[in-house]
Amino acid sequence: MNAPDKIETFRHIGTRPVRPDGVDKVTGKALYGTDFKAPGMLWGAILRSPHPHARILSIDTRAAEKLAGVKAVATGRDLPTLESLVMHVGEGASDIVDVSHNCLAFDKVLYEGHPVAAVAATTPELAREAAVLISVEYEVLPHVLGLDEALADDAPLIREPARGRSDEKPSNIAMDVTMGRGDVEAALSGAAAVVEGRYTMEPVHQGYIEPHACVASWNGDGQAQIWCSSQGHFMVRSLTASVLAIPQSDIRVTPLEIGGGFGGKTTVYLEPVAMILSRKSGRPVRLGMSREDVFRATGPAPGAIIDVRLGADADGTLVAAEVTFKYHSGAFAANDAGAGVSSAIGHYRIANTRVSGIEVLCNRPAAKAYRAPGAPQVNFAVESAIDELAIKLGMDPLELRMKNAAMPGDLQTSGLPWGEIGWVQCLEAAKAHPHLSAPLGPNQGRGIAGGYWGNYGGPSTVNLSVAEDGTFTVATGSPDIGGSRASMAIMAAEVLEVPYEQVRCVVADTASIGLSFVTGGSRTTFATGMATVEAAREVKRLLCERAARTWQVPAEDVEWREGNAVCTSGEKLGSKMSAGEIAGSSIHSGGPITATSALSAQGWLPGFGFHICDVEVDQETGHVSIVRYTAVQDVGRAIHADYVEGQIQGGVAQGIGWALNETYIYNGEGKLENPGFLDYRMPVTSDMPMIDTVMVEVPNPVHPYGVKGVGEVPIVPPLAAVANAVHAATGKRMRSLPMSPDKVHAALHAES
Amino acid sequence: MNRNHVNTTINGDATQFLCDPGASLLDVLRDALHLTGSKEGCGSGDCGACTVQLDGEMVCSCLVLAAEAEGRTVATIEGVAEGSVLHPVQQKFLEHAALQCGFCTPGFIVAAKSLLDRNPNPTETEVRYWLAGNLCRCTGYDKIVRAVMDAAAELRQERTPA
Amino acid sequence: MSASPLRIVIMPPFDKEFFGVERLSIDAGNLFELIEKLDAQGPGFAKIARARVHLAVDGVLETDWTRLLADVREVIVLPRVGGG
Repeated sequence: MNAPDKIETFRHIGTRPVRPDGVDKVTGKALYGTDFKAPGMLWGAILRSPHPHARILSIDTRAAEKLAGVKAVATGRDLPTLESLVMHVGEGASDIVDVSHNCLAFDKVLYEGHPVAAVAATTPELAREAAVLISVEYEVLPHVLGLDEALADDAPLIREPARGRSDEKPSNIAMDVTMGRGDVEAALSGAAAVVEGRYTMEPVHQGYIEPHACVASWNGDGQAQIWCSSQGHFMVRSLTASVLAIPQSDIRVTPLEIGGGFGGKTTVYLEPVAMILSRKSGRPVRLGMSREDVFRATGPAPGAIIDVRLGADADGTLVAAEVTFKYHSGAFAANDAGAGVSSAIGHYRIANTRVSGIEVLCNRPAAKAYRAPGAPQVNFAVESAIDELAIKLGMDPLELRMKNAAMPGDLQTSGLPWGEIGWVQCLEAAKAHPHLSAPLGPNQGRGIAGGYWGNYGGPSTVNLSVAEDGTFTVATGSPDIGGSRASMAIMAAEVLEVPYEQVRCVVADTASIGLSFVTGGSRTTFATGMATVEAAREVKRLLCERAARTWQVPAEDVEWREGNAVCTSGEKLGSKMSAGEIAGSSIHSGGPITATSALSAQGWLPGFGFHICDVEVDQETGHVSIVRYTAVQDVGRAIHADYVEGQIQGGVAQGIGWALNETYIYNGEGKLENPGFLDYRMPVTSDMPMIDTVMVEVPNPVHPYGVKGVGEVPIVPPLAAVANAVHAATGKRMRSLPMSPDKVHAALHAES
Repeated sequence: MNRNHVNTTINGDATQFLCDPGASLLDVLRDALHLTGSKEGCGSGDCGACTVQLDGEMVCSCLVLAAEAEGRTVATIEGVAEGSVLHPVQQKFLEHAALQCGFCTPGFIVAAKSLLDRNPNPTETEVRYWLAGNLCRCTGYDKIVRAVMDAAAELRQERTPA
Repeated sequence: MSASPLRIVIMPPFDKEFFGVERLSIDAGNLFELIEKLDAQGPGFAKIARARVHLAVDGVLETDWTRLLADVREVIVLPRVGGG
C-alpha cells in the first residue's frame, strides 16, 4: 500500500466537499450525547464530595430512597470489587480499579467533586433534591495540590496503600521516565552559550462545549444498551464492561454525535453509574454533568514545573539539552510524563540529551489526555529556551532551529530513528513566508516556535457495502468529531472513481461493526482511512470479478474505470457494466457485494508544526492581543483540505488560550474557584485574528494517500510562539503561564 | 409545587406548556418540547450554545425563565431554515466548513442571523464582537467569521471573491 | 528462533520497574514469545505489556507481535505514548 512517487492529480483527495452530516448539524437535528432520551427514562443525579481529601466513614441513603419519585440509589459499594488490571483503551493505560473508583468513590474521596453517590428519579428536579438528602460522614484529611508540596516528605499520601519506587519510601510519584544519551554535564561545561530556566503552569481543561452525558438501560438478563457521545464507543463498552465485570458483548453502545472531546472523552465517568441505577430501577437512566461538574471532576491537562538547560557552540550547533519536569497526575496515575519525555527535544539533533519527567499524585481530578497530551508543556519550556539561546548567540532564531533540525534518520530521544518527517520542509516554508518580513507597529512583537506530536495508527474496522443501485455505504467505528465521515467518503470515492455523493459514510454501533480504537491520537484519517481504502479496493475487485463471471471472461480482462467494470480484451472487449448493473444482479452472481477491512495500522508518522505569532501588548493593562498568526504544518497529505485547516486553526486557538488566559484557580481549602466559562477564560471571536495555515505535504509512504495525523500537532507550538512574541514586544521573558494581563502588567512594571 | 401554564409562539407555531417556576426556557425547549437544537454548554449564559431569539432579540435561553415566554415569540435554530431550504447563514457554514463538532453551531447560526437581521453589512470586527458571546472550541473562529461575512454578502445579493 | 540471541534494550520506566537492567540477551521466535520470556525475568511484565508497551524491531515500531524474529538483531522495549 504505497503512495506512488509521481505527482498525482486526484479526483477527490484534497477537495472541499460539504460533509455528509452537515445539514443535520446546521439545522439542530443532530442528536448529541446530551440530546438523547429513551422512553420511560429516569433522570439521574450525582452527589459529589465537597472535600478535596477525606475518608468516607458512612453513607446514609435512606432519606433519599424514601422521597417519592426516587427509583434507585447507588454508591461505590454497588460496583464490584476488581483486581488490579492495567488496560489501554482510551488515550493511555489505566488501572481498571482506578477507573472504577473515579466513577464512584470507594472509601476515600480524592478531589473536590469526586462522585460519592447517585440517584435516579422521575424528574431532574427530584433527582437533585434526592441527592442532597444523602448524608455522608467524612473524616477530612489534609490535602495537597501543588507539585512541590505533594513531593515534600510530610505530604499527605494520595494512594492507599502508599506505593513508591521500589528502592525508595512511599511517595506521591506515580510515574518516572528518563531518556537520553551522551554526557550532558560535560557538554554543557564546554558549551559557548548556555541558557537555563524554570517554566511553570497550572492545569488547563480541554474545554469541549458539550458536557458529558449518557443514557443506559441494563436489563435483568444482563443485556444492556448505552447511548452516549464519546471519542470511542468501543472504549465505552470495554471500560464499562470491565468496571461492572460483565461480558463486553452484553453491552451495545450506540454512538451519538459528540460536541468536542480533544482527549477528554477517551474515558468513562458516568456510564457505569447510569448502568447501576438502571439495573436497580429497571428503567433507562440518564446521567449528565453540569459545566461545574465538568471542571470540578473531569481530567484536565496537567500543570507543570519544567527546568531546561540548553547548550550550544558559538556557531549555533546544539551540544546538550537537559529537560526535567513534574506533571500533576491528580488523584490517579495519569500518562502524560512518557509523552512529555518523547516530545521535548526530539525535533533537534543533539548529541547529549537527558529528558526526565515524573507524574505527581495530588488532590485534583485525575489528568486526562488533552490534544498532544504532555507535549505543549515541555515544548513551551524548550522553545522559549531556544529563543533565549538565539538571542545569546546573536543568531536568527529561525536559522538556529534550521541548523539543528532533525531530519529523517536522525535519532529521536528514545533512540529510534525518525522516518519521513517534514520538519525541515516546514521550516523552509516558514522562511519563505511573507509573515516573517511583515512590518510591526508600536508595542508589537513577533515570536516563532516549532514542535511535533508522534501520532498513532492502531485498530480500525470498516465495512463498505454496495446497494442494489450501485451506490455505496462506508460504515466505520470511528466517531466523527471533526469531519471524518467526509474524509472517508472522499477516500472511498477516490478508489471507486465515483462521485463523492454516491458514497455515504455512517458511524456504526458496537454491535454492528468490528472493533475500532478511539477517535483521538490523530489516528482516524490514517488508520480508519487505511481500512476504508482497503475495503474499497476489495469491493472494486469484487465488482470486476462479478462482471468477469457474467461475461465469462478471465478476471484479468476486466478493469475498473470511472465507476464501471470494463472488458479490456477478447470477444467482449469494450463491454461495460456500471456498479448499479452489477449490484442489481448480485443476488444472481454470488450474493451481496460488501467488504470488511479490519486492520491494526502501522507505519504512522509524526506531524511537525512551525508557528509565527505577532502580538500587541498594552503597556497600561498588560493585555496581550494576537495580531497575526501563521501556522505551518506537515500534514502528509490533506484529504479534505477544509478540515485539515480546521484542525490546525482549532489547535492554535486552544494553544493561545493556554498561553494567555486559561488556568485552574484553587483556594486554600482545595476547592476550585473558577468552574465555569466566565472565569475559565477561553478565546472568543473578538480575541482572535484570522489564522493563516500553510499545509506542507510530505506524504507518508505507508498510507495509500500519504496521510499523516494532523489534529494534535497544532496545539504544541503556540505557547512558546506567543511567549516569544511577548518577549519581542516587551523585553520580558514570561516563564509562567498563563500570560494573563495581571502577570504581564506585573512583569512590565516590576520596578514600581 | 404548582406549575406555570405558559402560552407562547415558537418558530411561528402557537405552543403551550407547563413548567416549574424555576425552569429555564432552555430546559423547556429541550425537555418538554423536544427542540434539542438549542444546547446547554454551561447553564450560566457564558457560552451562547443556547442562543434563541425572544421577540427578535438574541438571548441566552438558559438565562430566561420559561414563564417569561408568555405571550412572546421565540425563534430557535429549528425555525431558521424554511422547510428544507437552508438559510444562507446555514448554507455558508456548510460551504466554509465552519463547523467541526457542530455543537456550538446552532447558537452561532441564530446569533449570526440576529446580526444580519439588523446589520446587513458588518465589518469583520463587528462580526467578531457580535459573536463574542458564542464559544467555539473546535474551529478557532476563522471559518465561522468567513461564513458569516459570505452569508452577509449573499443576503446583500453580492458575491465576495473566492 | 533467532539466529543468535536478540539484543533487548529496556527503556525507562520498565528497566527500573521490572528488570533492574537496561540490556538483556534473549532468544525468541516472535514478539509474543519475547514478552513471555521477559515476563520470566521480570514478573508482572506480561500483564501490563499490552496496555503500556511498544516494541521496536531494528529501529521501527512493530505492533504485530506475531512478527518473526529470525533475522532481527535488536528489539527495543518502549513506553507506549497515547494521544488525545
